[in-house]
Amino acid sequence: MEERQYDLIFICRPDTPEPDIDKVISTLEHAATEKGGKIEKTEKWGRKRMAYRVQRLREGYYVFMLVRSSHGEVVKELERRLKVADAVIKYLTVRIDEELKRQEKLKRHREKRAARRPRKPATAPAAAMGAGGEHAAAQS
Amino acid sequence: MADENTPQSPAPQAPAAPTGIASHGAPQRPGGPPMQGSRPGGGPPRRGKRSFVRKKKVCRFCVDKSDYIDYKKAEILAPFLQERGKILPRRMTGTCARHQRWLTVAIKRAQNIALLPFAAEL
Repeated sequence: MEERQYDLIFICRPDTPEPDIDKVISTLEHAATEKGGKIEKTEKWGRKRMAYRVQRLREGYYVFMLVRSSHGEVVKELERRLKVADAVIKYLTVRIDEELKRQEKLKRHREKRAARRPRKPATAPAAAMGAGGEHAAAQS
Repeated sequence: MADENTPQSPAPQAPAAPTGIASHGAPQRPGGPPMQGSRPGGGPPRRGKRSFVRKKKVCRFCVDKSDYIDYKKAEILAPFLQERGKILPRRMTGTCARHQRWLTVAIKRAQNIALLPFAAEL
């Protein structure tokens, strides 16, 4: 199966000491590799004010991770660990590979069109390109 | 005369146009929420009864040529929310249909991880 990418964000209690947060991160990394996934990137966003109260807290320590895996077991395990960890008050996993793919596609598309336009703008067939306001403008 | 179908706007069925510039959506509805200054693409306030220029609103994401709206950047999404946390409609912001679709998804994700409010707290 093809590889999937996920964004994983979790929020720790703001009073958690830094070593504890590092511990959570390293357990997640271990769990991911054990299940055959990989954590590509870890970013500590630090203490941020949350938009609403979570467990009566107004602030939280945000940690962002980029996870790669070929099956959903990894995410399941990571979420289980986050649920168990006392310091973690909220987490969110979002699958992003499909959106990245779409982004790539649109980008390629645009570059192709940009490369073609200066020479012969009239030859571009309207049906070959995706919809969008800018496209209509380019045709006129 | 005071409602949204003033002579300048072509026809009431226009708001479905892909660029979403045709209709302004009642800037001065009596019971509606107050206009905010931070609203993206909002035109200048109406002066007299019929002397006003409608500024053409353009989709901000089309201008930036963005292919992906990142839910992690709350500061980008925030202007598309009302004070109380509602997502602003397309007719207010001028966002094109495709980007509005992406935008709502991004806003909802951001809400889930407490980057944006579901509803403003009292």
